[in-house]
Amino acid sequence: TAGNRIFHFGQCRVSMSMTEIRLGFTAIKANIQARDPIRTLSILSHPHSLHKVKSSDRCCITHHLFNFYVDKVFKHCKTEDSYINRKISSIANSFLSMKRKLRQCHEQNKCMCEEESTEKFKQILANYEGLNVTSAAMKSLGELDILLDWME
Amino acid sequence: SGVLCCSLPNPRNVHFESINMKNVLHWSAPEGIGHGVLYKVKYLVYGVGKWIRKPECRNINRTWCDLSSETSDYEEQYYASVKAFLNGMCSDWIETTRFNPLTDSKESSSCSQIYRRKKNLLFYVFQWWFSISNNTLVVPWLEPGTAYCVSAQIRVTTPLLHSGFSKEYCIATLKDKTA
Repeated sequence: TAGNRIFHFGQCRVSMSMTEIRLGFTAIKANIQARDPIRTLSILSHPHSLHKVKSSDRCCITHHLFNFYVDKVFKHCKTEDSYINRKISSIANSFLSMKRKLRQCHEQNKCMCEEESTEKFKQILANYEGLNVTSAAMKSLGELDILLDWME
Repeated sequence: SGVLCCSLPNPRNVHFESINMKNVLHWSAPEGIGHGVLYKVKYLVYGVGKWIRKPECRNINRTWCDLSSETSDYEEQYYASVKAFLNGMCSDWIETTRFNPLTDSKESSSCSQIYRRKKNLLFYVFQWWFSISNNTLVVPWLEPGTAYCVSAQIRVTTPLLHSGFSKEYCIATLKDKTA
């Protein structure tokens, strides 16, 4: 795929392309973020920033977050706008593909979850569960660039 | 104390303009309002609980405010907001969209590409493309008596970003006296 790059998540090395996801998100970012009126809460970046994650924990956190977005976010982000919905579906499919690639590392035990990363992900889930499902899903989708910036 | 009546029209088009990580908040004056309007500015780190006032942009009459130092952490995202005041009246707080300094900042330009322009016939021979990481470039093999023009562009690999090319600067080499 155009823009494929090798991503290093600790011991796990995965070839992925962020280009489509970036383009898709850029196209819907203003619309999605406008649907999130809560400025003072974040799902991914507070109280603990993704950028403080140790290199050895990167794979586990990324694996958890791919599952999180596929299982808890995209399916709750239906809008009245078909263009937006198509873009969300396209991003979701890209995530499915990346999730499968990362699973290989998980199966090869290159994606171990230590306590810190488990705690970190628990915090993200707590942030998510602190809101009603639709608000939490829309906010998470609006924070996709936080995840992409951190991964890249 | 006088209670402010917030019926003033709102500032318009409140947005960040960011070039080379210089993040400046811009807006337009409220519709149909002439002189004398003053503004206040505040900003917020997305996900953190409180708005922070910008003292240097309190009661200003200009329609911009430099928030570069307040929005310099590229691991964070931000909102900013502006309120207008006139003759005891005020507007609502009007916010920007969410600002990501990492991806919403344009780069001006500094990566070189050299043309060669010969005599009066203006033609560009696209000769060299250099990728440099600092801001000096030495090009050793140039022809005497020839004008060379330089134009530059910034390229960043993570995330994949590049600027437009700069304005062209040209210089002519000395004539070869031995020829």
